[in-house]
Amino acid sequence: MNELIDIAETWFRQQGWKPFPFQKKTWKAFLAGKHGLLNAPTGSGKTYSLWIPVVLQYIKDHPDYKTKRSPGIKAIWITPLRALSVEIQQAAQRFADELDTGLTVGIRTGDTPQSERARQKKNMPDLLITTPESLMLLLASKGYAKTFSTLQAIVVDEWHELLGSKRGVQMELALSRFKTICPRLRIWGISATIGNLEEAQDVLLGMDSSFRKNAVLIKAKNKRKVIVKSIIPKKMETFPWRGHLGLHLLDEVVPILKKSRTTLIFTNTRGQCEIWFQKLLAEYPELAGAIAMHHGSISKDTRLWVEQAIRNESLTAVVATSSLDLGVDFAPVETIIQIGGPKGVAKFLQRAGRSNHRPGEASVIYFLPTHALELVEASALKRAVQEDVMEDRIPYLLSFDVLIQYLLTLAVSDGFFPKEIYKEIKTTFCFQGISDDQWQWCLNFITIGSQSLQAYDEYRKVTVTPQGLFKVESRQIAMMHRLSIGTIVSDAMLLVKYVSGGFIGTIEEWFIGKMKPGDTFVFAGRTLELVRLRNMQAQVRAAKKTSTNVVSFMGGRLPLSSQMSKILREELNSVPMAAEERPAQSRELKALEPIFKRQRRESVVPGAHEFLIESFKTREGYHCVCYPFEGRFVHEAMSGLLAYRISLLSPVTFSLAYNDYGFELLSDRPIDIQQIIDNNLFSADYLFDDLQKSLNATELARRKFRDIAVISGMVFQGYPNKTIKTKHLQSNSQLLFDVFRDYEPNNLLYLQAFRETFEHQLEEGRLREALERINTQTIVWKPCMKPTPFSFPIITDRLREKLSSEKLADRIKRMTLQLEK
Amino acid sequence: MTASIYIHEQEFILHPSGAVYWERQNMLLIADVHFGKVTHFRKHGAAVPLKSSEENFQKLRDVVAIYSPKTVCFLGDLFHSRKNSEWKQFEKWVQETEAKIILVSGNHDIIPSYLYQDLGLEVRDELRLDDFLFTHHPTANEALFNIAGHVHPGIRLLGVGRQSIKLACFYKRKGQFILPAFGTFTGKHIIRPQPEDIVYAIVEGQVVCVSANP
Repeated sequence: MNELIDIAETWFRQQGWKPFPFQKKTWKAFLAGKHGLLNAPTGSGKTYSLWIPVVLQYIKDHPDYKTKRSPGIKAIWITPLRALSVEIQQAAQRFADELDTGLTVGIRTGDTPQSERARQKKNMPDLLITTPESLMLLLASKGYAKTFSTLQAIVVDEWHELLGSKRGVQMELALSRFKTICPRLRIWGISATIGNLEEAQDVLLGMDSSFRKNAVLIKAKNKRKVIVKSIIPKKMETFPWRGHLGLHLLDEVVPILKKSRTTLIFTNTRGQCEIWFQKLLAEYPELAGAIAMHHGSISKDTRLWVEQAIRNESLTAVVATSSLDLGVDFAPVETIIQIGGPKGVAKFLQRAGRSNHRPGEASVIYFLPTHALELVEASALKRAVQEDVMEDRIPYLLSFDVLIQYLLTLAVSDGFFPKEIYKEIKTTFCFQGISDDQWQWCLNFITIGSQSLQAYDEYRKVTVTPQGLFKVESRQIAMMHRLSIGTIVSDAMLLVKYVSGGFIGTIEEWFIGKMKPGDTFVFAGRTLELVRLRNMQAQVRAAKKTSTNVVSFMGGRLPLSSQMSKILREELNSVPMAAEERPAQSRELKALEPIFKRQRRESVVPGAHEFLIESFKTREGYHCVCYPFEGRFVHEAMSGLLAYRISLLSPVTFSLAYNDYGFELLSDRPIDIQQIIDNNLFSADYLFDDLQKSLNATELARRKFRDIAVISGMVFQGYPNKTIKTKHLQSNSQLLFDVFRDYEPNNLLYLQAFRETFEHQLEEGRLREALERINTQTIVWKPCMKPTPFSFPIITDRLREKLSSEKLADRIKRMTLQLEK
Repeated sequence: MTASIYIHEQEFILHPSGAVYWERQNMLLIADVHFGKVTHFRKHGAAVPLKSSEENFQKLRDVVAIYSPKTVCFLGDLFHSRKNSEWKQFEKWVQETEAKIILVSGNHDIIPSYLYQDLGLEVRDELRLDDFLFTHHPTANEALFNIAGHVHPGIRLLGVGRQSIKLACFYKRKGQFILPAFGTFTGKHIIRPQPEDIVYAIVEGQVVCVSANP
């Protein structure tokens, strides 16, 4: 083995590099036939940690490798982002070429042209770089087992990005198949630092002991230093109490831009990104040409152009969203600005890490608060970075929607025998707990579309041959399935194009759907006028007037992680402490003093042993605001729970709002707070039952069901560019959810929507802990005269849930009809 | 619980199933049943529960039993798509039913008319009776009052405390009355009425007036 390692080290020396200890460790482990997980940050040479041993293994197996090529695919490299594949290809090809191995490196993603794909099918490259979705598509093609029989390694890059999503489940299932068809397979993952690295490795390798026993976890030790600086408003008194844009501090940003080579300005949503870009240009016209914008809806060409411009150092700043979180390294980036709370330490650090890739030097990240209380978050973030706190990525369990899609994939290609596949999927982390009944349910679902055979039924998706092979016979079903493979469900998207031609980007259909021709909107940094909608295309022209109608996008509201919430609570609880008792206060907390003073005047700043409830009346009704400081999702659940429990005492209707700090119950009638305290309504007893009964859970499950319906193939999203012909097959998941509720409530997919709601959305475990904590605290109820600084960002939130125990017919008597405006 | 409205001095009873009973003509009006939709989806690989299609027929039997009308008039979109196995159940229902059955065709009704006619149904593009014009698509007419389907109307109600709720509804505006969709596996289209319009919402088995004018 040492001779082989020498080959690689010599090559490194020729480049003027020296391998990191973790790289050598990984080479050796791979060559020793081990599986494993490599924990290494972006930009640390991880491609060479795992591609090199694949090549070395080939050299070892084929001593005459320089003269004689052995055909067949050797390795698959999975990347979650297509954008990363070119960079990996170049690095891998370079090593293969300079060692005269003749090995080829190919890419196969959604962007790969049909002709290239056909060529690959006949003659696979030695290393194939692909995405989880494209890998699944390969399993959906005939004869896949033969194609991959020579495969020796699968490397899953950025595994932390896939883990904790259904794409991770998709990978687990694919790997379970490859383990059978490739006897010499080695499985490796590469992950950034997360709280649950050991679990991440278990999920990747599966539950079969032969793989687990022969595995290693390798950690790279080159930790980068991060410096966090908050941008603190000069006059706290006039800084807003609510908001999410942060434009008040625009003037503070420009000097930072001018000081450094290239600055990345990270925003949390695409809408915020557009607005910041516009405002920077409007206020500082001299920046024209020196700044650019980058987000997921902008056309790929523009994005690539921006990325190249960053590398060339021709830009002062780029306003971006998470579209620039991952991937390729930009050496000229010196400074990062984060606008608004990133909600998690890992995300924040990942963004910080986009700057200054020179080893040894610290990364600098500025935090720009969008409202006053966010400075507490900044203070908490600083501590989290110092103390090395990291979030977990929670893997999905028993995702039947992904399993059904996978079974159909196998049925579309060569067909499958349930006995064989059942054994395989039971070894995955996700399906280790599947019962025989659940498995049979899934088989019934894909063959007869329900659980009992009924006369007159025309459902036939998968048919069973007399030999017991499960196979898709219908060409139409096969084609529809191939088009639907994937677990990322997006809204219907429209292409935005100039009337004269020229592609600008893609936009959610519901946004354009609200507009009439002649309306203007801001998108991709331009003000556009809608001319007409045609065939899923929004045709536009440059608008003459300005517009305030910035494209807004759904989603993007991440909750505060539990690790962050804990630190945030500790920071805040230090405020009421006596000066001599409390730890040294951060600049951020000191700056917030005027706000705390105001809060104390109207109410209190709660200490560690206090739980604050405020009540007051406004024009909108009677407000009750509670402050657990546990993050949006927990508050969402807790507000529903509390509202439900109050509603058991007397019929009432609430509208609920929440943010990362607390939640609000709003009613058209006074709320008796004393009754909440007297009846111990924050009890953790009967939590699951009560949650399930709160209407909230149904509404949340309804939203989860949307993805489940698409992934499991219940809702077909249409052929590309052929929307009309499938209209008669379009139903929405809402309608399906209702028919399942009314006619098939034990459907596993329907139930899964609830399970996902509890496990991933309401975070039942976290909720229970929070309630137990509240039960150890003293409840402090403050009747207030008017909204307090703490309550303000919550009660002005426009995204709301409802809960009611009144009869619908009684409720609507007090409601009014929404009329034409 | 039903509600009654009067159009041109004639009483129409609004039933919570979405059907309307016209007293004077002893006629039951039903819009947008979309029979066969469940089966159509199943045929194309989406496992919509079969029970929801059975429920469609049950609902129809129940409401016909209540009024025992002389005529049942479907205001279009009786079948969602081509003929499929639900046709057999429909045949059975037609044979059991004593009332005369009229189908005013809609955009989804692509099953050839002669198949309906073979079962004894009367198929037409529109129906003129008294002062009324019955169509599938809402159709403005100077002389006649139009009663139609097609829209699947629903409304949104707003309350204090930012409550909001969507319900299927009967919708009457100037010269026109639109029925909600009768079928179980059909969606609704949220309309925004004018202040003078009349809206009856279907809520938990009741028909309730939610507009300012009854």
